[in-house]
Amino acid sequence: MICTRGGAPSACVREPREVDISSADRLAQASDATLALRAGDGDVQAFEAVARRHGPLMRVVASRLLGTDAEADDVVQESFLTAWHRLAGLDEPERLRNWLMRIVTNKAIDRLRTRRDHDDVDDHEPPAPRRESPDHVVEQRLQLDAVWRAVDLLPLDQRRCWLLREIAGWTYAEIAEALGTTPSTVRGQLARARRSVLAEMEEWR
Amino acid sequence: MTSPDDGSVDGVTLEELGDYLDRGREPRDPRIEGSPACRLALQALESIGTLSRESFEREAAREPHRDDAWIAGLLDSVRHEVVAGREVPVRSDDALTTLTTSEAAVRGLLRRVGDAVDGVVVRSTELEGEIGEQEAPVTVRVTVSARYGLPLDGLSDVLRGHLLDALGQHTQLHVAEVHVHVDDVHLGDEGPDGTGRPGTGVDDGTDEGGDR
Repeated sequence: MICTRGGAPSACVREPREVDISSADRLAQASDATLALRAGDGDVQAFEAVARRHGPLMRVVASRLLGTDAEADDVVQESFLTAWHRLAGLDEPERLRNWLMRIVTNKAIDRLRTRRDHDDVDDHEPPAPRRESPDHVVEQRLQLDAVWRAVDLLPLDQRRCWLLREIAGWTYAEIAEALGTTPSTVRGQLARARRSVLAEMEEWR
Repeated sequence: MTSPDDGSVDGVTLEELGDYLDRGREPRDPRIEGSPACRLALQALESIGTLSRESFEREAAREPHRDDAWIAGLLDSVRHEVVAGREVPVRSDDALTTLTTSEAAVRGLLRRVGDAVDGVVVRSTELEGEIGEQEAPVTVRVTVSARYGLPLDGLSDVLRGHLLDALGQHTQLHVAEVHVHVDDVHLGDEGPDGTGRPGTGVDDGTDEGGDR
């Protein structure tokens, strides 16, 4: 970094550190496509930026599919390891987010299948407790609370269909295959889920 | 809006409405589009989908402090699996000593040198040729994203010069060509000084160690 005339002297002294920071900053701001290409190139720092950007949503989705946070952490970790191995061959780096979402939902579904094969765990866990909203929250926040709660209240089968359809964007056929059922059942579950969520939201209004 | 028993709207079931929405409202169904109640229901269905996605995003944004531990663990695992690639001869002052580094390390050097050029974010790197053999010609390809508004030919020249310098300083590769390919632009990011000023071109390059 060149010390410009008139620049503060301290800027020169801390030069190497600033270079580091700006590089991390730039990666944090880089497009998904750039990060995907770089990570595919073997750049761990770019991969870290990917994990920070997309990990949290992947974890929420996994945890709502599986019903446990601990398992969700494992699934997200596994998903990123898989992603690391496959990034170099990624065809559409700009679709990184969808691709990651696809990996994590697949892994979560694999877990569900294993559970189903081995034992019948009662996986109908109670909805996560919600923090009370402060008084000054805007309508938008209340609305988001309401829809989150509505989805949380759905029976597990319906909630899974909802997640795979609305959050992960799967087709009915894909959902049916993943959950070991038929597309028409999925269609029915989704319709029931939508009806319940709509009703909840109308009540809220 | 919906009838209490089966949730149908103007004789159209929620299943049908959902399917129709999932098809992107194509082909146009006059029975549905002709009914104000159906159109309202479609709007409501669409909005709960959007809200639901937003509520998940918000939930995800709530726990940033949880990130550090698991990301550290993840990166540890990943570092063990970085593919080193081929061996590359490294310059040594002692004629009797042969030093090599990994292809991955050289590509890391290219990334760092490239990123140090103002307005450049390196996207991918490639070393073509028999890089393990001294004197074998090597072609270097670097693909970058450039900050919007920078003159690209000047940028490529500066970048090429810096890459050549660094490779000459840290490796014994016989670099025949350096191809710089700008295949993306990004909007100006604010540097640590917050000015986002257009580049003076480059930094002076003295910090590019290439020693990791």
